[in-house]
Amino acid sequence: MALNPPSPTPSMFKKKSSSNLSTAASYLSAVRAADARARAHGGTPTATPALSLSSSVTTSSEDTVLAEESDHEDNILYYPPIPPTSEQVFTTVHSEFGHCANSDYRYTSQHPQGVPVTPWLEQDPPYYILFTTYVSYIILICIGHIRDFFHKHFKPSTFQHLIPLQGYAPLNSDFDSFYTRRLKTRLDDCFSYPVTGVAGRTIVLLDRISHDFNVTFEPTGKRVRALNISSYNYLGFAQARGGCADAVEEGIKRYGVSACGTRLEGGSLDLHATAEGLVAKFVGMEDSLISSMGFATNSTIIPALVGKGCLVISDELNHASIRFGVRLSGANVRMFKHNDMADLESLLREVISQGQPKTHRPWKKILIIVEGLYSMEGTLVNLPRIMELKKKYKFYLFIDEAHSIGALGPHGRGVTDYFNIPPRSVDILMGTFTKSFGAAGGYIAGSKTLVDRLRLRGHTGAYAEAMTPPVLVQVIASMASIMGVSPSLPASFSPSSSSSSASTLRLTDSDGYEHPGPAPASSLPAWLDLPPALRDGSEGHDRLRRLAFNSRYLSRGLEKLGFITYGHVDSPIVPLLLFNPGKMPLFSRMMRSMETPIVVVVVAYPATPLVTSRVRFCVSAAHTKADIDLVLKACDEIGDVLDLKHRPGDRWPLEKIMANAIELVRMNE
Amino acid sequence: MDSSLSSYQPLLDFLLRSLSTLETTFFKIPGSAVVARYVKSSHQNDPGRTLLELILLIFAIGTLLQSRTRADRDGKHFIKFSEKEIDELVDEWIPEPLAETLDAKEQADLAAVPVIAGPQGPRPKLLNGKTVLNFASYNFTGLAGNEDIKTRAIETLRKYGLGSCGPPGFYGTVDVHMDLERDLADFLGTEAAILYAQGFSTISSVIPAFSKRGDIIVADRGINFAIQKGIQISRSTVRWFDHNDLKSLEDVLEGLEKERKKRKLPLTRRFIITEGIFEKDGAMVDLPKLIELKYKFKYRLILDESISFGTVGRTGRGLTELYNVPASQIDMLVGSISNGLASCGGFCAGTTVVVNHQRINGTSFVFSASMPALLSVSASEGINILRNAPSILTTLQDNIRTFRSILEKLDCISIPSHPASPIIHICVRPSSLQVPQLSITSSGSGKPSNPASVQPRDPPQFDIDGEERLLQEVVDEVLAQGVLVTRAKSLRGQEMIEARPSIRLAISSAFTKKECEKSGNVIKVALVKVLGKRR
Ligand SMILES: Cc1ncc(COP(=O)(O)O)c(C=O)c1O
Repeated sequence: MALNPPSPTPSMFKKKSSSNLSTAASYLSAVRAADARARAHGGTPTATPALSLSSSVTTSSEDTVLAEESDHEDNILYYPPIPPTSEQVFTTVHSEFGHCANSDYRYTSQHPQGVPVTPWLEQDPPYYILFTTYVSYIILICIGHIRDFFHKHFKPSTFQHLIPLQGYAPLNSDFDSFYTRRLKTRLDDCFSYPVTGVAGRTIVLLDRISHDFNVTFEPTGKRVRALNISSYNYLGFAQARGGCADAVEEGIKRYGVSACGTRLEGGSLDLHATAEGLVAKFVGMEDSLISSMGFATNSTIIPALVGKGCLVISDELNHASIRFGVRLSGANVRMFKHNDMADLESLLREVISQGQPKTHRPWKKILIIVEGLYSMEGTLVNLPRIMELKKKYKFYLFIDEAHSIGALGPHGRGVTDYFNIPPRSVDILMGTFTKSFGAAGGYIAGSKTLVDRLRLRGHTGAYAEAMTPPVLVQVIASMASIMGVSPSLPASFSPSSSSSSASTLRLTDSDGYEHPGPAPASSLPAWLDLPPALRDGSEGHDRLRRLAFNSRYLSRGLEKLGFITYGHVDSPIVPLLLFNPGKMPLFSRMMRSMETPIVVVVVAYPATPLVTSRVRFCVSAAHTKADIDLVLKACDEIGDVLDLKHRPGDRWPLEKIMANAIELVRMNE
Repeated sequence: MDSSLSSYQPLLDFLLRSLSTLETTFFKIPGSAVVARYVKSSHQNDPGRTLLELILLIFAIGTLLQSRTRADRDGKHFIKFSEKEIDELVDEWIPEPLAETLDAKEQADLAAVPVIAGPQGPRPKLLNGKTVLNFASYNFTGLAGNEDIKTRAIETLRKYGLGSCGPPGFYGTVDVHMDLERDLADFLGTEAAILYAQGFSTISSVIPAFSKRGDIIVADRGINFAIQKGIQISRSTVRWFDHNDLKSLEDVLEGLEKERKKRKLPLTRRFIITEGIFEKDGAMVDLPKLIELKYKFKYRLILDESISFGTVGRTGRGLTELYNVPASQIDMLVGSISNGLASCGGFCAGTTVVVNHQRINGTSFVFSASMPALLSVSASEGINILRNAPSILTTLQDNIRTFRSILEKLDCISIPSHPASPIIHICVRPSSLQVPQLSITSSGSGKPSNPASVQPRDPPQFDIDGEERLLQEVVDEVLAQGVLVTRAKSLRGQEMIEARPSIRLAISSAFTKKECEKSGNVIKVALVKVLGKRR
């Protein structure tokens, strides 16, 4: 992926390219030749970072994928519109991780120093949109009830599982399931779409059809490759090829697939300790604890932090896993309005002065739980303000960085990095590996005392299966390649030297690790052999900067087109507001049936407030500027058809946006 | 999802209060009965939804939604302070530390946790370089390190990458997940199955997906921690029966039925929740009897087969295969693919209705990324291997028998585990008691326990610290002889009922008879040595 200088070991592709590679046709044939050779040799791409569009492992179903792929020679999902020059060597598969050589399409994700965090203002749509939205819901509900009435009385067989039957109460009453059956079903073709292959820059949909209005679906057998702007693949590590995948393969060969048991009862591997050490370094904490599921990290660790007599103050939009954990903990809970620091402060004053309910005894502890980046809103936590409040009100702070770790900050270390706040001034940093790292599971990082306590008191240690070796290796490899590895780090590529040298959060570990710097080679498994571009951190650095560019470009572009979007401009999550429920399935289907299909996520009540149905884009470092152009173009077309452009203020035509992308991205607020 | 619901809560309360005044006029309006029914059922189940409808009808209220979280301000316990007083209170308040430092025992516990350097398996290397026979890790069917599984996993990696990068609803449903779900359903003989990304979190989500406030759960007193948490989240009414005592279950069910008839309670969802093989002591439930009771009293059965799936029955299908009971008779069969199939994750098998319901309501299914494709394929391959090599399960049972024949003769210990259980718990037999304490919660006297309380009438008495110390000594002693075993770790103070301390052996089919005999004897000698010293 990265724009490498011509490498000392010439790749196959380079050999080919030395002749003449100015046309797409020759590019294609080079690709084919490289492929064919890779397959003939059966060699792993470790040695040959050639442009390989397919796998070198040949199995029967692999061939069907290949057949499908070779059908589309001019498809921009497979081949970049502008072939690379002979100087450029890409080590990724374009359909997984796009080739983008233009170093102007980069940006640094960082909060401008000294600038106060401006609270983000929600934009209201015109009145008629709100009105029609409510009316739509009323109509949908009425029709639903009418259909229920007729089904109940004239087609009782379809209702059997919803009414008491032979002495059993229904598992789900007709009342409880009304929304699911009568509203959600209408757009079920937009959810749970089966896919295959890598959830990278593009994804292969397994086409399906419903003959009974979305109650059941049948596969049609067709596969459709679509541009994927939906997966949480922020840094583009969802890859079946490349250094990380090679490391995982080596890991499987060495360790097998399972950790066989819980961490405290014989499921602890040396790899766990390695990964935990690396995570701690990455986020800048003393120690960390890993668990095999991100959801469970919250739901099983929060009860170990607080209990009766403690108070949890939680942002109203916190993730379900946090609410699950808080409910299990038995602590009291209060909520504050999303990201509203004034509301938070007044709540803090109230709860501290009032103490525990009834008894008025002081609270044992107060824990504030916020997310770094909110997955439905794209909003960033106002961390500088929270840190001020923390000094005054002495609460403990827990930040769920599921979406922000890896995705924000000049070094990818999350919101603390983004705002340049010392990580150790936060008590608990939690995050997941499912997103930026292309792995699975989650971590909790904090002081050594805290983490040791959680190892023993958290539910996962004694009862939940440990993280498996392949996942651990993916975590280690992807994290190390974002950080770079220290002895082999040429100065020119040091991510910390090329950006934000003004960073004030230097701290040094006993083994010479300096946050937020490269990982000491001694903290990685000895057998881990990362290719040079990963090892020196240049590729990781490039990924961070591509993500920052793409995020800003998409949200600014949509803004300039006149759409109402939510969230922070640096957020890789960009929600575009649709409002009317009927527009959700339409938007999703229209995107999917574009000439170059695009898959999107639509979300509605109850995941969002009733009126603000939205489509949510998740930008990735794997996207190229051309991909974002494509999304903008599609949105532009659909926006006109569906009447979605309601933002007041300055608008630009699509061509102007595409031509001025760099300027748009670099523009200050 | 809950947040938008619960944030409407204060408003709902307000509405309900005004409702009583409105009621009289209200019922004169045609169609009012329908609305009344909503309010009623939502009061029982899910307040937010009624509210939503009310908002739509009373359109103007939508704009009032802004003021929230102030609910407590006008409660009768609210004390009014001036700003200055508040500042003083804030200054005075000193919170407790977030976490206490570990004491010496806890530090020792943590330091004693075995760490395996290199691949997991029956004969792994420890960090200190020593190779041991591993009776601590769950590798019942010996699939850890299986070459076929590794090959399939690598193939999958090269096609799918590692992470799925999305929850199942948002392009995280990969074809290999659907394949594994089909394989599991096929293997067990149910209509469908659903995969969760972690075994431990599975049942904690399955229970609250079905059982809500007002529903009735009848559960075993010895259930594992995950089930306890699921029950806690569900907020249902819980009744308890004595550990693995189906007579006690029958009594509780009868009592509930009588109460329902007497008080004319409405029909609610009712569940029996128990485990196939209990994680805490290895006891096995009498499935046919359980099924009989469930049908007799019209309860649904949620059975946790995390330990038994993949370890008992001719080909590892679990209790249903062992007792020859069709799996379709278990409403929600929950299992783990991390134990018997040496992958990572969990599943719930049942009818299509049961499974599809969870695809929308299973919290940790909906709100968590789906499992990595290669883990899913590894589990499918695991099923394939079990299907085609019944000898694995025979060997496993042989090995269990070998072990038990050595250990059962000892009179300083008791083994509460079922003879077919692949986990063998070894408890210290209290020297004062003549009667073997075979169960973690069995009641001594004849009187039944109170079903509303999780505590049994006569809880067995034991000295947790003392016994743990002894058992740890045994563990250390055994390790010095090259055999790795572990105490059953338990979250003391967080469990509803403290489990009796034990050493938990996890037997694997990957051992030879010789190795089992040798290890069994090593353990025996250590037990005799440590426990003998005690008297
Ligand atoms: C804020 C937050 N926390 C936790 C999680 C759960 O993570 P995982 O998908 O790894 O289980 C998510 C995932 O969507 C999330 O958004």
